[in-house]
Amino acid sequence: MRQKAKISKIFTISALASGLLLAGCGDDGEDGKDGKDGISGNAGQSVVVSTTSGFAITENAVFVAPDAANGDDITEALSLALFDIQEDALVVLPKGRFMVTEGIVVNSARGLTITGHGINETILDFSTSNGDDAFRFQGGNGITVRDFGVYEAPKNGIKTTNVNGIHIAYTATVWEGELEADNGAYGLYPLKSQNVLMENNYSYGSADAGIYVGQSENIVVRNNTANNNVAGIEIENSSMADVYNNIAVGNSGGILSFDLPGLEKAYGGNVRIFNNQVYANNADNVGAGVVGAVPPGTGVIVLAASGVEIYNNQITDNETTAVAITSYFLIDDDVSSYPVNYGATMQDGWSPTLKNVYLHNNTIARNGSNPRGDLLAQIIGGYTSVMNSSGMAQTFPAILYGGIGELLSNLGNQGIGGFNAIVGPDAAAAGVNYDPYGPGDLICANSNINGNPAPKYEEVNTGLVYPVDTANATFDGNGDPEAQLLIDQMVNNTYLNCVQPRLAPAKVNFRNNIYGCTGDDLAEAACAL
Amino acid sequence: MRNNNKTTAAMLMTSLLLAACGGGDDVSNTPPPVGSALNAGAGSPTGAEGSCSATTAGVNWDALMTEVCPKLSDYNLFADATDPTAGPTRGGVSYDLSTALFSDYTSKYRFIFVPEGKTVSYNPSEVLDFPVGTVITKTFALPANTAMRDGEELVIETRLLINRADGWFALPYYWSSDSDATLTIAGKRLTGLTTINNQGQQITFDYAVPKAADCSSCHSIVPDLAGSGDEREQIFLPIGPKVRYLNNDHAYADGTVYNQLQYWAEGELLAGLPLNLQDVEEAPVFNDQVPVASLSASELNDAARAYLDINCAHCHRAGLTLPADYAGPAGSSGVQLEYNRNYADSPSKFGVCKEPIAGGKDGYPYDVIPGNPDDSYLLFRMTTLESRHKMPELARNTAHMEGTTLIRSWIDQLPTASCSPTP
Repeated sequence: MRQKAKISKIFTISALASGLLLAGCGDDGEDGKDGKDGISGNAGQSVVVSTTSGFAITENAVFVAPDAANGDDITEALSLALFDIQEDALVVLPKGRFMVTEGIVVNSARGLTITGHGINETILDFSTSNGDDAFRFQGGNGITVRDFGVYEAPKNGIKTTNVNGIHIAYTATVWEGELEADNGAYGLYPLKSQNVLMENNYSYGSADAGIYVGQSENIVVRNNTANNNVAGIEIENSSMADVYNNIAVGNSGGILSFDLPGLEKAYGGNVRIFNNQVYANNADNVGAGVVGAVPPGTGVIVLAASGVEIYNNQITDNETTAVAITSYFLIDDDVSSYPVNYGATMQDGWSPTLKNVYLHNNTIARNGSNPRGDLLAQIIGGYTSVMNSSGMAQTFPAILYGGIGELLSNLGNQGIGGFNAIVGPDAAAAGVNYDPYGPGDLICANSNINGNPAPKYEEVNTGLVYPVDTANATFDGNGDPEAQLLIDQMVNNTYLNCVQPRLAPAKVNFRNNIYGCTGDDLAEAACAL
Repeated sequence: MRNNNKTTAAMLMTSLLLAACGGGDDVSNTPPPVGSALNAGAGSPTGAEGSCSATTAGVNWDALMTEVCPKLSDYNLFADATDPTAGPTRGGVSYDLSTALFSDYTSKYRFIFVPEGKTVSYNPSEVLDFPVGTVITKTFALPANTAMRDGEELVIETRLLINRADGWFALPYYWSSDSDATLTIAGKRLTGLTTINNQGQQITFDYAVPKAADCSSCHSIVPDLAGSGDEREQIFLPIGPKVRYLNNDHAYADGTVYNQLQYWAEGELLAGLPLNLQDVEEAPVFNDQVPVASLSASELNDAARAYLDINCAHCHRAGLTLPADYAGPAGSSGVQLEYNRNYADSPSKFGVCKEPIAGGKDGYPYDVIPGNPDDSYLLFRMTTLESRHKMPELARNTAHMEGTTLIRSWIDQLPTASCSPTP
């Protein structure tokens, strides 16, 4: 590549030979142990110290500001160490809490590992940064980020764009204190990337999504904790994603699967959300944009995303609803303006409707106790008064399906069948259409477990805002379908009573190792479900 | 670490030098001398490893091609090593862009050095195809008064773009003293710089000399990774030297005023220029002197589109004329603002009635609301200094009053859309 060696003629990166200094920090690591889950240290190099997660730091590493004291500004050392970095470099951040006053950009790194000494042992504080994102990795292959925390980033925490192979582990993005609108945007933020592995991370306080993967493919998000963010974990316009063994607690919305209009990757698909604990996501929503519309108190929300399987999760104590499944018409109900406002993205295959969302074997309990959110105000008003199909005030449905996109599709040219003319040939060939829903398109929920104790067992229900069967539809004076606010028990259900084929597992190829349910987690219990 | 540059940077009185170039219209369009290429006698890289301490008569090409030199003067790009705003070493040609990136009201002095015997190849819409060895220098100087750019100014930094055998390479140099500029890989933040703007107001702001790593944030196109095995890398490119920004008159140091593309073509620096300049894309001139209020509707639209292109579309670009399957670093965003994008085909690509996706702020429901600039998130982002929201992300530490006036007027006169205020 470029003249990598030359830079060191001028700058002595404070590196090398600092093993002695660092050896004293090793008391809470495990010497010699490879990184968890098969990502090893540098073979043949002697280990200086291990991180708290057991990752081996070897003597050939580049040690950034190894002598820095707590509170020191290490911006310059960090910038120099990460500029024009050698292939397969191991860059080690010092132990302690340090200030960083500019955003750190890393370009086209290949095989780079940047590690601290542990998620609580190395903290980079960006509260006085003049930059925007704390870290931005642009381009590159096989990059690992691990074992440190990024605090108070002015914009996003750790953003990666157009990287093939990004592994973020044991890493925290934190905005301390109350969840407020001027906290940063995304926490951990891979975008337009391939082979994304995010595990054992912690995200707290994001005013957008704490752990977010956008417009990416081949994704495993596992064993993370997202707490006190607007969105806990969000998969947006992404394909082949597995989200499992995570904890989403205390966010406004726990786990989100979204397809939003107008993006270069117009739509995603094959997203599996399983074996997560999604509880008490009741934070006030301080977000803006589309995520700002997520009703506080929502466990899982699927918005205009097709090919989503949600199973074996524990979804409890979310005060609005456990799972909301909705077309984009909930966000923008001006159906006739879609060809003008969204024509280009619909041509590329984005659709306001959603298809093949399959919800099964989840344990759902104690949700809906205090439903709220402007987006759902009318629907909440209907279900919690007599203005719903039961004629009685109800606990807000634990599973809420909008149904309007499906009904409008089923209505053919009286509905949105005409949108078929907008769909471009590539998208049409990939199966995007506005035809009436066939069996493979249906939204299905079965075998979910009602975890409510008696006498509240009756309060776990499925709601359909609009009937999906044209025979049951009613219309107002303008010829628009009327909401009927249907409600039925979740177990032994009438609504959404169907089965879909299981989706394929996601597979991440990172540095020629395979991660996920068909790779290193072959024996993981969650993957057997 | 954070020196206030005012005390140490070179204060250059360039008025004398520039006075010769000042009067545009009364100088006749004399072509440059025929028969000798502009870069005749400029020399070229030998292919050998260079040395920062080599003494060369002309440009130190070999050092440019292989070395990261600690001082700008090591490359011998200027006759007077203390003045990067004029007097390029033999072969260097000054140029200007008709509409330029804002960059905190700085004046920019641009020179291109093409190795002897090489030519630049024409490209109708993308950046020109520069031969290996090409060096572009761009010096940023803050004028004491933006209405008098040939007056007193503070020379802050000189950036090099070098087209090496393995691709473009960027190096930032900071004028840490009167005598030379020094390499500044980690960037430099200057606080409390002041200027008087065209409205006569004194404004004070910080100025950031970017880190070397920041260059790629704007100067690259990124691959749209096509699958699990796609390992293509980003490509580093210049931004400004596209024909649409060069297709206008420029005042040269010898007093010649001439169309830059023609000057290059006749000076054997540019190959493939269409014979008829009418066939060459041309972006209008927009600078702080242009009175936005008196532009016609089509002039306003053209100026706004050029401004959005040069200030935003290095990142906010996708499709169109790029190499297939590459995009700007913000190509994945919903907003794309290229000059040659057809507005009517998809107003939403310009943010019209588009909800913010990665971002957003209460009170700004859509990126662009035709007829309502005040509630348009795009205009807010161009005005605010909050890191969370500000655009462009780099090179703007104060609002560009004239630029935001332009975009405000443009949003005001856009065709009414579904999110527009009801009349």
